Amino acid sequence: MKISGSYIVPATRERTYQLLQDPAVLARCMPGTDHLDKVAEDEYEMKMKMAIASIGGLFTGKVRLTDQNPPENFRLLVEGTGKIGFLKGEGLLHLSGSPESGETQTEVKYEGDVQVGGTIASVGQRLLDTTSKMIIKKFFEKLAEAAVE
Amino acid sequence: MIAQNFEYSAPSNLREALQLLGNGEAKPLAGGMSLIPLMKLRLATPEQIVDLGRIADLNYIRRDNNLIRIGATTTHYEVQSSSLLRASCPLLAETADHIGDIQVRNRGTIGGSVAHADPAADYPASLLALEARVVLVSVKSERKIPIADFFVDTFTTALEPGELIREVIVPVEDQSTGTSYQKVLQPASGFAIVGIAARLRQSAGKITFARVGVTGLAGKPYRATNVEQALEGTTGAPADIQKAAAQVAEGVEANSDLHASESYRKHLARIYTMRALAVASSRTA
Repeated sequence: MKISGSYIVPATRERTYQLLQDPAVLARCMPGTDHLDKVAEDEYEMKMKMAIASIGGLFTGKVRLTDQNPPENFRLLVEGTGKIGFLKGEGLLHLSGSPESGETQTEVKYEGDVQVGGTIASVGQRLLDTTSKMIIKKFFEKLAEAAVE
Repeated sequence: MIAQNFEYSAPSNLREALQLLGNGEAKPLAGGMSLIPLMKLRLATPEQIVDLGRIADLNYIRRDNNLIRIGATTTHYEVQSSSLLRASCPLLAETADHIGDIQVRNRGTIGGSVAHADPAADYPASLLALEARVVLVSVKSERKIPIADFFVDTFTTALEPGELIREVIVPVEDQSTGTSYQKVLQPASGFAIVGIAARLRQSAGKITFARVGVTGLAGKPYRATNVEQALEGTTGAPADIQKAAAQVAEGVEANSDLHASESYRKHLARIYTMRALAVASSRTA
């Protein structure tokens, strides 16, 4: 499934880029995640507790940041496995200052591909698109919160 | 598959149910039309279930002056066959006709459907057009909120842990109001690919009041206020309806799946808004 979209983060491009590289910030923005454990340079493991529409479950997963080109873009790889299915996603995040706001806002564009498998994919097809959009929206809402602190 | 083991209780009154749900861990069970299949697939694995089915005072449809109060465990069948609703709030009864199949309508409840907040459920479109309110109760509090504030996002509502929907409140329509619910259904599930609820009043040949609720199109149901504004003040001629309906998906990030792409869904939304408005308009007195 292809995903793409863009969000505005209320911070300069340099700061937004830094936030997105910070494991503590990423953990806070990912739903149901307490913290990331570093396993290698820019590679982390985590546990996620997801609950959407009474569908719930514990996922174990990995996040990896690659192709860093500060403060413009980087690649984010996420994978998670749980009893109800698995998810594997890869996306390019592109940061640009939004001209009308001067330097105080950054537009983050993402474009990527997500694969979902297991029970959740075979019975939840109708809802995967809507649900993944909601999770991404929540991520950026939390990021915006972190940016103004 | 068989659901994972869970603790089951079936309290006979609301207070007891709220106490059991008070810890925020237990899951309330109404008709079970969404929760039970998820449990059988083990997508949902609640450890504690509180069955609301034996609470007699959650099942009612009663008139209270200019309002109709519908208890949370009132089934879709009870809504569609209620003579009170057919006469005084026909939009909701008509919407219930469209939900799932007869088995789902016999078991599924209005409270359960609204609390589940499936983005393609039928009731939300009509409840938004009716400017309904929901009463939420917990051990500690009771609050009444507009339905538009209740739907926060896909499968996400304003319900706090330990809180239950007690009732849904809809208005008694005055006889001049014309309403209609029009839907394209996904044949396998019966859920709406797009569902449109329209509610209109006319006076001296002009549309004086328009409400349009949309489900299935976006991540959450919404009121198409731009369509409403475009229609109010016009004579409701076919050209006015067409012009207003054309705006229904404007600025909306539409869902896209194997049943309907984003642009097809938007197209369907425009066509069905036109139909819902035309039928509602023909029903105004």
